[in-house]
Amino acid sequence: MWRPCRTFDETYREDMAFIRTPLRWGMLAASVMVLLLVPAFCSYYFVSFLNTLAITIIVVLGLQIVTGFCGQVSFGQAAFMAVGAYSSAVFTTKFGLSFWIAIPLAGIFTGVYGLIGGAPSMRIKGFYLAVATIAIHFVTMWLLLHLAITGKSQGIPVEPPRIGSFVFDTDERMFYVIVPIMLLMTYGARNLVRTRVGRAFVAVRDNDLAAQVMGINLYYYKLLAFFISCFYAGVAGALWAHLTRVCHPEQFTLLNALWYIGMLIVGGLGSIPGVFFGVILVRVLDELVLLVSPYLASWLPWVGSAPAAGLGLSAFGIVLAVFLIGEPRGLAHRWEIMKASIRLYPFAH
Amino acid sequence: MTELWQLLLLGFLEGGLYAMVAASIVLVYKSTHVVSLAHGQFMAFGALGFWFLLVKLNLPLVVATFLALGFAGGFGWVIERVAMRPLIGQPLFAAFLTTFAVFLTMDGVFQLILKGESTSFAAHLPRGAMEISGVSLPTTQLVSFGVCILLFVGLALFYRYTKIGLGMRATAEDHQLAQSTGVTVRSIFSAIWVLSAVVAGIGGIALANVMDIYYPLPYLGIKGLIVALVGGLDSLPGALLAGLLLGVLENVSAGYLDPVVGGGVKEVAAYVLLLLVLLVKPYGILGLVLIERI
Repeated sequence: MWRPCRTFDETYREDMAFIRTPLRWGMLAASVMVLLLVPAFCSYYFVSFLNTLAITIIVVLGLQIVTGFCGQVSFGQAAFMAVGAYSSAVFTTKFGLSFWIAIPLAGIFTGVYGLIGGAPSMRIKGFYLAVATIAIHFVTMWLLLHLAITGKSQGIPVEPPRIGSFVFDTDERMFYVIVPIMLLMTYGARNLVRTRVGRAFVAVRDNDLAAQVMGINLYYYKLLAFFISCFYAGVAGALWAHLTRVCHPEQFTLLNALWYIGMLIVGGLGSIPGVFFGVILVRVLDELVLLVSPYLASWLPWVGSAPAAGLGLSAFGIVLAVFLIGEPRGLAHRWEIMKASIRLYPFAH
Repeated sequence: MTELWQLLLLGFLEGGLYAMVAASIVLVYKSTHVVSLAHGQFMAFGALGFWFLLVKLNLPLVVATFLALGFAGGFGWVIERVAMRPLIGQPLFAAFLTTFAVFLTMDGVFQLILKGESTSFAAHLPRGAMEISGVSLPTTQLVSFGVCILLFVGLALFYRYTKIGLGMRATAEDHQLAQSTGVTVRSIFSAIWVLSAVVAGIGGIALANVMDIYYPLPYLGIKGLIVALVGGLDSLPGALLAGLLLGVLENVSAGYLDPVVGGGVKEVAAYVLLLLVLLVKPYGILGLVLIERI
């Protein structure tokens, strides 16, 4: 691993440390403190925006593991999120489990369900697998609409989580549930990719034949990647259900899954910070379009009264195309270049 | 029995529509090995242009058709120049995702133009229904199916006899070999995108003749992709076969299973078929089988 000049690892612990220097510990603690103080100082709108941002980050982290690290493109992430949301809703309302038990259970259930998504990878790969996951999306959504336990087209109303008599029923309160889980999941993903499993994923992505020759069981690791990614999607879906307090199939469309893939590309495949960059950039862009569109509608009457949906799609599509053509390695790569140039200043290389 | 015939024939006619959409995707894949999501939008914009020329400007049918197809073809050319050509030599998956970005961009424009409403030009074309021993077939469907058959025959002749069609086949075999025998692969790529956009435009007009022009129209491109995969991504006869198969399957399964499971079978039949076909024959019914490790 790369180290700045004059920094030496003297013990095994230092070499393996997740956060290496006291300065980094300080920066981390300070930024987490600032993050947790946000609801005290910022508007309700901003806090609910951060909530959706954090949930999206969890979903895209899962997608990063299966697509960015293991190289298996999945368009099923929205459906897996729906499975997580529904399973947690069923666990809490029908079986009477507490939210805190239902969340990990929903994640595990979705992970097991996601093995169905990974199953075709035994026979197909690449683009064919991607389209198979689109098929899995539609079949899953159809099942959710037609099974009795998922409330058919009515959906399921969901209770907010609670500890004792304290109910997390506003966006500000849910913030303290969602953000710690998001941080935990980020830590998990960041740590996973430097373990044996994570390196096996990268090997499968870069050259599957070489990976197999080195003794990596391809099918096992592909399924494992799908399991972990669906675990993330399931947890995010469960959080989403308890935040909006309703489970409905229309919350989880194929378009959402396509947006997640887009965020991943804008941020950069194969990088955990890239997930944050991608999600934040795309979501902020979306919010900007929402802000701008009423003015645009008054200046240019022909675009109609509600151009936000169409404009948002177009803006996202253009940004995505620009990144694919101009910077396929995403914002994370730019970030690394920027860090290196600051470190090396005043030298060019 | 009449009910079964009704479902079978309607499915057959609908399958022709799917086959046309699939054909445009197969055309691009055959020569460039790029799988395109953008063709749903060429379809939608072809239909939209046709509607604008026929209904808004009141042009004669033939003029409107040619202008709309020219518009779709021009669109395909622009997309190839702007989005696809910079990606030659990049991984094919990047090209696939770029067509997806193109899809999203054009979808936004499509929604801006439609403003959430739906339009239709069906009133300007022949309507009504034909009765054959108790089975009623709408004229719009019959016309669209006739267009589909003509299109496939035309494509077969084009690939068989014209110079540029032969060039496309040579390019499909091997880019470098084709280049060394004097085929300009780069202009073939342009021609392919124009041709497939025109085919998608024809499919879009035929589809909009049957359904209205509204926001799900571009998403039928995804269904076309499914049909292309089922038939084999590099096989035009496969696209026709799979399209007809899917149309029949959708209608028959919806007719008989919908009362049992409570509706919606028509939407998932295609995806269930795709999953089954991918598990049994991963390269589609008539697709070229590549020998590789998974």
